[in-house]
Amino acid sequence: MKEYVVETDVLVIGAGFAGFFAAIKAKEKGVDVTLVDKCYAGKSGSSAYPDTWLTFNPEWGHKLEAWMDQFNKSGEYLNNREWTEIVLKGSYSSFKDLVSYGVKFFKDDGEYRRSKGSPEAVFEQLLFGGSYEAGGRRETAQVLRRHAVKSGIKIMDRIMITDLIKQGGRVVGAVGIPMESYDVYIFKAKATVISTGAAGFKPAGWPISELTGDGMAIAYRVGAELVGSEFVDTHSIWADFPASRKMSRITSPGQNGPTPIYPPIRTRSKTFNAEGDYIPSGPPSNAVRFSTEAHAGRAPIFAQVPSAAATYYGVADRVFAEGGWIRQTGCAVGGMATHTTEGLWPINTKCESSVPGLYAAGDSLGTYMVGAIYVTSGIATAGAVVTGTRAGQHAAEYALQAEKQTVDGEELTNLKKRVHAPLERKGGFGPRWVTQVLQNITRPYYILYVKHEMRLQAALTLVEFIRDHLVPKLYAMDPHELRLVHETKNMVLNAEMKLRCSLFRTESRGRHYREDYPRRDDSAWLAWIKLSEKNGTMKLSKEPIPKKWHPDPSKPYEERYPARFPGE
Amino acid sequence: MGIERIDPELCDGCKICVSTCPMDVIRMDMESKKAIIKYPEDCMLCEWCALDCPKKAITATPVKTARIMVAWG
Repeated sequence: MKEYVVETDVLVIGAGFAGFFAAIKAKEKGVDVTLVDKCYAGKSGSSAYPDTWLTFNPEWGHKLEAWMDQFNKSGEYLNNREWTEIVLKGSYSSFKDLVSYGVKFFKDDGEYRRSKGSPEAVFEQLLFGGSYEAGGRRETAQVLRRHAVKSGIKIMDRIMITDLIKQGGRVVGAVGIPMESYDVYIFKAKATVISTGAAGFKPAGWPISELTGDGMAIAYRVGAELVGSEFVDTHSIWADFPASRKMSRITSPGQNGPTPIYPPIRTRSKTFNAEGDYIPSGPPSNAVRFSTEAHAGRAPIFAQVPSAAATYYGVADRVFAEGGWIRQTGCAVGGMATHTTEGLWPINTKCESSVPGLYAAGDSLGTYMVGAIYVTSGIATAGAVVTGTRAGQHAAEYALQAEKQTVDGEELTNLKKRVHAPLERKGGFGPRWVTQVLQNITRPYYILYVKHEMRLQAALTLVEFIRDHLVPKLYAMDPHELRLVHETKNMVLNAEMKLRCSLFRTESRGRHYREDYPRRDDSAWLAWIKLSEKNGTMKLSKEPIPKKWHPDPSKPYEERYPARFPGE
Repeated sequence: MGIERIDPELCDGCKICVSTCPMDVIRMDMESKKAIIKYPEDCMLCEWCALDCPKKAITATPVKTARIMVAWG
């Protein structure tokens, strides 16, 4: 085992859109920047699958008031309006940055193609360019990689950051493990940016299994305040091919998703329950609509696949043998939160966390710019770049002021020991099995989409057992398994966060549905949930939403919230 | 099972698939200097290895066999 020490001014963890922009913008301030990624920077995480980009541009006739109003209503008044506005206003200049680095967007006759979900939609999106068949959209993040390299940023691939180093009350670096050796990396940094994306439990259907909540976990362990893990991202999958992103795409034609190779077919499939009743798509979420049908014993949910889609995806024979129907199920993203609703709590608009020296961006920053629902597509990509830009600039400014700290001592020795401890254990529990146990607890609809105190509590009890009894005995046979052990440990911690937040929010709102509390409760829950570690336990608290952002209380409930939850 | 085969006749050992795989499924075989499927159970079916392989040596399918749930493991 060798120990490598990397000294840098700004350390950026995770190389998606947010991480690349944090690194590039920090570097522009004249500091030394290191960008580290668990996989290959430019090919990892959700950012490798960009589809749309939400661009607010007054010159295209966009009205800020109308866009904000739509966010507030659709997000069920839980969006942080300060951040919604920052991201919308920043989206056009960030778009110009992307273009200047060489990122391609679709054009028709020399004009950027502006896409609307429907004719009456307020928002317009731009589409990332490049052909699907050639994996063109995948090229986007690699364009950013090339720009980062040209800018003089040090990129380190295939190193998983397992912990942050906190000394003297601030984050001063991180510890990491490479994929293919027993070595350890010590990063000494004046400022650190977390941009590791959202957290799922190694899902089926969407290839984001590397997003194991590492950023949330490492931040939690140094005492950072985190926000909101109760709102769930939702997508459908084809029950016959639950693990395939290609086959999942067919259940949601027109839906943007992680399928750069396969084009969206922008006609909606129709969905029916087992009794033949039409179950339309719509708010608060399809997952809740379909799960409620399953809950009542009316699954399978059947999707009628347009023949063009079946033919395109090369599955016409199979689909038509079934009469043009396929069975659809949920859990494509495996427990991932709605974009930007979970992450490090920003204490200001500089993307600064509650721990000095630690910043976050993209899906790792709990900006709540969308509220309780993912309001429109393209906001995650735009948000990642706008927050990445800010996080990089402010982390660089912090680093320029910060004094160099010595990184050593007992704490670092303990961290290094802890990182490699699973390799020292002769036996115990394997990480794949513990992950599977965790998935079996967290994935069924009655935990993930149709929540109830009794079931959430039962799941939490089991997750606490896993945390206390299985996680400390996880073992690894080689460096690959060591990564799996740390991922598993992080997923267990994230599961606890999601379950506790789901229990804490005793109402239904947006993508959080409580069967036992099926109504929105404006008197108690116009608030975000903050959580952090206090004396070894997870503490939750309410962060009230400013009064001026509340919906008009004189309006009847049905006007404030046009979408009904089952059981209301 | 997602990634099914890397054709040793076609693989020229360029290592692109090794770095591309976000799940660290593929490694180099030290003896043959070719890519091998080392951890197939961790494949998430993103198919990027197949897409990125300049020699089109990799076969991936949309089917994944589930692990059997056992009492401990």
